[in-house]
Amino acid sequence: MPPAASTPPAPRPGAPRPAALLLALALSLAGPGLQAAGPGPGSPGVPGVAGVPPPGLLRQAARAALHFLNFRAGSPSGLRVLAAVLRGRAATMRNPPALCFSVPLVISLGGSSVVGIFHQISSQNHVDARRTCRVDLEFTAERYGPEADGRLGRCSARVVFRRQQPRPAVNVTCARFMETSRRRREDLLLYKRAKRLRAPPGATSMPDSHGWIDPSLRPMWDLAFLGSSYVMWERTTQTLHYYMAQLSSVNQWKTNEDAIDFDYTVLLHEFSTQEIIPCRIHLVWYPGKPLKVKYHCQELHTAQEGSGTEGG
Amino acid sequence: MKWILFFGALIGLSICGREKFFGDQVFRINVRNGDESSKLSQLVNSDNLKLNFWKSPSTFSRPVDVLVPSVSLQSVRSFLKSQGLEYSVTIEDLQALLDNEDEEMQHNEGQERSSNNFNYGAYHSLEAIYREMDSIARDFPALVSRVKIGHSFENRPMYVLKFSTAEGRRRPAIWLNAGIHSREWISQATAIWTARKIVSDYGKDPALTSILEKMDIFLLPVANPDGYVYTQTQNRLWRKTRSLNPGSACVGADPNRNWNASFAGEGASDNPCSEIYHGPHANSEVEVKSVVDFIQGHRNFKCFIDLHSYSQLLMYPYGYTIKKAPDADELDEVARRAAKALASLSGTTYQVGPTCTTVYPASGSSVDWAYDNGIKYAFTFELRDTGHYGFLLPANQIIPTAEETWLGLKTIMEHVRDNLY
Repeated sequence: MPPAASTPPAPRPGAPRPAALLLALALSLAGPGLQAAGPGPGSPGVPGVAGVPPPGLLRQAARAALHFLNFRAGSPSGLRVLAAVLRGRAATMRNPPALCFSVPLVISLGGSSVVGIFHQISSQNHVDARRTCRVDLEFTAERYGPEADGRLGRCSARVVFRRQQPRPAVNVTCARFMETSRRRREDLLLYKRAKRLRAPPGATSMPDSHGWIDPSLRPMWDLAFLGSSYVMWERTTQTLHYYMAQLSSVNQWKTNEDAIDFDYTVLLHEFSTQEIIPCRIHLVWYPGKPLKVKYHCQELHTAQEGSGTEGG
Repeated sequence: MKWILFFGALIGLSICGREKFFGDQVFRINVRNGDESSKLSQLVNSDNLKLNFWKSPSTFSRPVDVLVPSVSLQSVRSFLKSQGLEYSVTIEDLQALLDNEDEEMQHNEGQERSSNNFNYGAYHSLEAIYREMDSIARDFPALVSRVKIGHSFENRPMYVLKFSTAEGRRRPAIWLNAGIHSREWISQATAIWTARKIVSDYGKDPALTSILEKMDIFLLPVANPDGYVYTQTQNRLWRKTRSLNPGSACVGADPNRNWNASFAGEGASDNPCSEIYHGPHANSEVEVKSVVDFIQGHRNFKCFIDLHSYSQLLMYPYGYTIKKAPDADELDEVARRAAKALASLSGTTYQVGPTCTTVYPASGSSVDWAYDNGIKYAFTFELRDTGHYGFLLPANQIIPTAEETWLGLKTIMEHVRDNLY
């Protein structure tokens, strides 16, 4: 995406940080009625690293963590989605760590001149995608799908986004919202239903235009989401995240051997570009075994095509 | 569909104690004369076959329908063949048919219909929506008129419903915008439901009635008609307009990046192939220009609400900058109350905040334009859901979504009514 016309130059290493400059400026203009709201306590003159990150960044991290968790768990009955972010913080990996987002330092002085200056100096894209960003957070998750019963499980995660590179590093733990034995049973049931399922012809969309998913085909949908989780984890960055919009075709659905062998195409909806990305995914699943998946996503007008494979 | 009524009658007659009809078939036997009729009587009288006649063979020259349990299929076929009785199998598996109809009935359950049978719990073609708008206007001529405010790139009319008790006077007005992004079908569906809601509740709901005593409401259910038709015929996930871009194979501009509010700023693209392409210049999209011209010509709008999906968000300016809007505190307070009212119906939670930080930076948006042009009460709704079905929201969620959204809209409109400026 082309930068906006008034994007300011990036801060050079060693140069005083823009927010620090501004704080100095603001303090020098201080008089009655000055209010400054900014990051939390830190060393004088420099915004503290305990600053409150933009809520968007924390949600990004939570999503990346859950996609990763879903993929690694390899359980189509145990898929989770984000309910709410509880708290978190974000910092660069440098020493000393600094913010990996611009601070919306709001200074009201009765006039708008100081805010105007801030607006020019700061990076308008307040999540700074040029830096590696480590996010530590806690959030709640709920079960994916129509069986979601409102029960929430608590999760904590550390997610490292590397300068818009794919595959954020994720370390995540979630409290179980379903006993392991029950999840295994449900996976087994899903497996059995899947084995009896005949694939719908070629380009059948799921859901259809009116949002309808044939309940008998639900195992297929859950497996499609499981495979997509791998893709969505890999592609999530500080600024891009995904939802699975539609299963647009089933290329192959093989159940004659032990594992389910599923070759399909999904359409991923990408925020904030609003693009629809077709991804062809091939997965092999057997209950209790790690998921094997490979994929290839088509990029329609930008240069980057993306592929990946996991589990050989 | 007609089978539903048929079954309603027959289930009462059906074999008692049996609930499932797996593999059972219905034979339609042609009885052409008295001879055949008496042969059929033999069949009737045979207890062990456990047949169930849906239409009794009392008069000949009418076909007779028989429910044949799966266990008796072979015997019945042999009998009919040996007697030379002509028949066809009209239902090959009764249970399967019942299951299908069940689903369809559940589908239709709770669907509200207008007098000419427009199903508000379903998604409709552009023509059907326009017909229903016309129908509403004709049913309530004192309150509603259908106004053409312009046309689309492919020359489709842009119709607005004007709700007014003013009789010619130009009152302060509210603009409800929907369907600017064509794939967000819940937006258009919510809008047409809202139109019917307004005419149904005027004179009955004190809040709505008092709003309409002071203000006019303009509702544009399909702000992007070309895109909407395209989602129905070619690509369900089309977002933009369908205007042609000279020198590019890619079609359309994002109509919600095309307004004159920090046009071509952050959060939009200058690539015609991008889903957020802002267009060659502000108001280049005729669909946008039509609304701009109308609102500017009117000069008395106080509120502008834009309905989108999905994410369950209720937002206010700005999208194009992180800078706080002068009225942000008031707008935030109103939005919170509206979200609370919305949630009161089914517990659907919306997040509230300024566009830029709540979702992402976006320049050239309708709501920012409205706000910067003196329309203080400017809000964006991102309707259901939060990503499970996304754009492909099941039709059975249309009415629940519209009903809860109405509570949010009313909260905002009541505030506007009480805070006219």
